[in-house]
Amino acid sequence: MTRRIARLFGKGGDLNARNMRLGIWAWLIQRVSGIVIVVFVVAHVVAISQASFALRGPLVTMLDGLRNPFYYVDRTFLAIDLIMLGIIAFHGMNGIRIVLFDTGIGVGLRSHKVIFWILIAVAVVASGLVIYYGLPLLGGT
Amino acid sequence: MWLWLFQRITAVLLIVVLGVHLWLSNFGQGSAPLRAGLGVVLLGLALFHGFNGVRTVIFDFDIGAQGRKFTTMLLLLLGVVSLLFGIHGLWPLIVGG
Repeated sequence: MTRRIARLFGKGGDLNARNMRLGIWAWLIQRVSGIVIVVFVVAHVVAISQASFALRGPLVTMLDGLRNPFYYVDRTFLAIDLIMLGIIAFHGMNGIRIVLFDTGIGVGLRSHKVIFWILIAVAVVASGLVIYYGLPLLGGT
Repeated sequence: MWLWLFQRITAVLLIVVLGVHLWLSNFGQGSAPLRAGLGVVLLGLALFHGFNGVRTVIFDFDIGAQGRKFTTMLLLLLGVVSLLFGIHGLWPLIVGG
């Protein structure tokens, strides 16, 4: 086990940062971000259920609680929402790239890289728009 | 093969439904039952896509045929339980309105 890890991250290894190019970074971050998102979604579902169970007040209060999963914990958790936005945007856009070449569009290394960066740009712009229009709604300044 | 295919299909669907969910929830549009119902759909899609993804990552490691069977069953169980938990949580919103 430890030898496998050493070979993977060691000198000539596949997951050694020196040997990694854009494609395998995309693969790795897709995997890692996927797991992070799963953890977040489970926490989100639990938090929303708490908000729904615990609040017996008017509908508006309940919906306020639903708006931000960590609303009733602390305002600093807004940062988690923003970070998750970026992670989800990357995962989604890289996923679109994968679906594209699974269907045969943009096959070939050059097209891959172009498509990857275009979709990353889309992710950044979309995240920016969401933050710009959404932040006041979430209670940030 | 179907799991592979559904992973892609749920991926595309998730992007669309998540966008609608974020829009409706944050701008407070649409009735509460509609948003809650959409949340349930979103939850189902996300649980399938996410847990299948976790299965894929685990299967990258050599755990043997027995391990793969166990992992599939465990993730299926966790997924169904999470879905039921989510539906139970959103039920008052779907019914109450």
